[in-house]
Amino acid sequence: MSSKHQKRLLELSINGEVYELAAGCQETLLEVLRNRLGLTGTKEGCGTGECGSCTVLLEGEPVLACLLLAVDCENKKIETIEGQSLEGRMTPVQEAFLEKGAVQCGFCTPGMVMASTALLKRNPDPTEEDVKESLEGHLCRCTGYNKIMESVLHAAKSYPEKD
Amino acid sequence: MGDLNYVGKRILRKDGPDKVTGKALYSVDIQLRGKLVGRILRSPHAHARILNIDTRRASQVAGVKAIITAKDTLGIKHGFVETPRYPADQYPLAMDKVRFVGEEVAAVAATDMYAADEALELIDVTYEPLPAVFDPEEAMLPGAPEIHPTHPKVKEGLLNIGGKTTSGWGDVAAGFEEADYVREDRFESHLRTHGYLEPQATVANFDADGKLTVWTSSQGPFIKRAKLAKTLGLPQSAVRVKKAYVGGAFGGKIDLFSHEFCAALLSMKTCRPVEIIATREEIFTAYRHGQPLIVTIKTGVKKDGTIVAQQLKTINNSGAYRGSGVVVIFLAWGFTMAPYRNPNLKYEGYSVYTNNPIRTPQRGHGAPQLRFAVESQLDMIAEELGLDPIEIRLKNARDSGEMLPNGDNVHNCGLKDCLKDIARHTDFKEKFGCNGNGGKERFRKGIGVGVSAYFGGSLIYPNSSSVLVKMNDDGSVTLLTGAMDIGQGAETILSQIVAEELKIPMDEVQVVAADTETTPVDIGSWISGNAYVCGNAARVAAGDVREKLKELAASELEANIEDLRVRDKQVYVAGSSDRVLSYAGLVALSIQKHRGDPIIGNGHWRTMRDEPTHPSLATTKGRWTENYAFDAQTAEVEVDTETGKVRLLKAVTAHDCGFPINPLLVEGQIDGQISMALGHAFLEEIMMEEGRTLNPSWLDYRMPSIRDMAQSEHLDVITEQYRIGEPYRTKEVGEGYVSAILAAIANAIYDAVGVRLFSTPFTPEKILRGLGKIK
Repeated sequence: MSSKHQKRLLELSINGEVYELAAGCQETLLEVLRNRLGLTGTKEGCGTGECGSCTVLLEGEPVLACLLLAVDCENKKIETIEGQSLEGRMTPVQEAFLEKGAVQCGFCTPGMVMASTALLKRNPDPTEEDVKESLEGHLCRCTGYNKIMESVLHAAKSYPEKD
Repeated sequence: MGDLNYVGKRILRKDGPDKVTGKALYSVDIQLRGKLVGRILRSPHAHARILNIDTRRASQVAGVKAIITAKDTLGIKHGFVETPRYPADQYPLAMDKVRFVGEEVAAVAATDMYAADEALELIDVTYEPLPAVFDPEEAMLPGAPEIHPTHPKVKEGLLNIGGKTTSGWGDVAAGFEEADYVREDRFESHLRTHGYLEPQATVANFDADGKLTVWTSSQGPFIKRAKLAKTLGLPQSAVRVKKAYVGGAFGGKIDLFSHEFCAALLSMKTCRPVEIIATREEIFTAYRHGQPLIVTIKTGVKKDGTIVAQQLKTINNSGAYRGSGVVVIFLAWGFTMAPYRNPNLKYEGYSVYTNNPIRTPQRGHGAPQLRFAVESQLDMIAEELGLDPIEIRLKNARDSGEMLPNGDNVHNCGLKDCLKDIARHTDFKEKFGCNGNGGKERFRKGIGVGVSAYFGGSLIYPNSSSVLVKMNDDGSVTLLTGAMDIGQGAETILSQIVAEELKIPMDEVQVVAADTETTPVDIGSWISGNAYVCGNAARVAAGDVREKLKELAASELEANIEDLRVRDKQVYVAGSSDRVLSYAGLVALSIQKHRGDPIIGNGHWRTMRDEPTHPSLATTKGRWTENYAFDAQTAEVEVDTETGKVRLLKAVTAHDCGFPINPLLVEGQIDGQISMALGHAFLEEIMMEEGRTLNPSWLDYRMPSIRDMAQSEHLDVITEQYRIGEPYRTKEVGEGYVSAILAAIANAIYDAVGVRLFSTPFTPEKILRGLGKIK
């Protein structure tokens, strides 16, 4: 019963905006994003950290929102898929996923995009092995991954922060 | 009729921007005010009588709004197949008995998940456990526990037979007499699951005015509406199934599921929206998986490899209800006879009830299991006769225009070209037979080949589609289709066809899809009918609009209709480009001259429109489909003889999918199937003990990751052309290519290390056992 679970006020910084809300101490970041804030772009494929669909960035690093408690994310910069294409302009990663056919059902796509974005920020010139290391925790059942690999390597070429 | 601008091009997905930005709403994302959370109580027993269900304590939990059991239902059964021979056999909530671990017994709606889960624990069910049986061959034998009575038409003294298919032609005994070489083998396949990323999810909202609106992760809204209405006792007009994006299905989301019924009934009880999202553990343990088949195959050939007779028996473990078990034993016959000529065939398929979860189609629906058997055996025969694997396949492969024994015409058949192209592309003949087999190195390479044929839009159900294309007053169009985009790109290819037929830019084709209230009836995205059946419906609807525009223009421009052409949203007279009218102008003219008619095109299509009904599931009599896709696939593997591990180094698919409407999407389908087959071959297995799933998570049921990605190459064998205004026979591309590759991998392993595998998956243990390194 929800009343059994203690709630507290949280201040979360998501995609550059500050949200103040009351949430249970046991609620995951994923539950807060999806159920309390309506940010449903982040997906839950398993809820147990096995599929990568719920990947968001915490202080720029990819994390599994289904395994993190929301209370532990206060005072940290959270980025979700909704913050990626501000003012209607897609990022190079999003454009590459579109152009190279890396999207089919699209359920894994937000998590893939977030993890790929973090990779390219950290390493603007990744090898295939680097991409595999970054995305091996992300399941995709539709594409066989070939076009996802192609997309990330293609996005790297046009990544703005590349020297 | 001129160049193609949209069809045949690498057009980007229409739903792509929504999906890469996180805006796409799936069923799990539908948020309604006052929504309740539903949870389902499942049987802990594989087989038991339900003596009593006491929900009194559960209903006292604060936040619980409704609890339902079978007593709250109308007791109307449903089934994947509902025909006079195979009537529905499953209640949406277990009535008097449970027949598998995980069967749905009761459901709760509460204000949050915690209250719902607490209530589930307090529902007191009294069971009387019954003996259970899990192996289909044991379940058939006298003395086995009876799960359901054997089908009344199967009079062989066998138990638990849900259905039987018998077919054949020629004289098999005479064929074997005539053969120079005969062998019989048995192949077994294992239990796998679809692995769709989006869990099964339903949101149902019953309004005060008696209307039930449902969003559900599915492969088509119309079958869901029909089955929900039937089991809930509502007229179809009181049920609306609306589109939400679908996060993968692969055959696993076709027919009615208990959670859909429960969400709807709980919403009706509470008059509030109810959401049920299955946990991944529930999906692994209690939802429907694919079909493991036991295939016994006896084949007789002449010295030159010509097949002269084949006798096949399949046994399907259908689980606790009929599911699609009686379909897979029907299809297995078709997957046998389609690629190769065979003058004498006898086929028997049995679908057997066991106390396992129910089975449903999984991409290929029996084809991988069947082709694994046929293609492995063909390689054994070739070796025995000293023939090359490519040559023995060319010897038996069908040709264009051949009639199949059931009356189907294969029309344009690219199978021989597929085989020749793939042999050339892979240097098959140079590589085969001189790899690791017999070598001394630790890592040995091998190459193998397999072929497959798959139907497109068959007549098993009344596979039809209708499409409306309506002109808007700016000359753009809106396409209304019941087709469901499950990730394969249905909305994109239908838009391409409309854009092409009308020469309208893609972004001026708006799509309204998969809503039972606003779009025309459509069978749904399954049995591989979308590109062909819905595609032709879209082509006809757009053509209807084009002809209406031309008729108007002909009278206005005082031109012959044959001289009119369309381009850039305009109709013009060929050769005199100043005699031109815009679509927008023609719409205005039509409204003015034709009593307000804004021009709406209507198109519909049905496979084999002259065939009255679907073929018999029991005897296979009747035509099945009018277009078969063909493919040859090769696998190149490397086997570690120390560990028994096999790596798929390269997969090549030479395929005849007719005409690829969107090559980018076709490649995506092929790559996805290679990946799924790789999981089938090496990684994935649902492990069960006494009906309980031992590995209900992706940690323990390992699907391919990006690290397992195989190099996948495609060779197009184009056998059809798209011409504006003419029916086209694009074939299927979404299911056929999971099959031959499985056999190719098995044959490549044999080529590498001389180990012949008779069962999937191809585990290190089996390889090491074959190498004599372990017992």
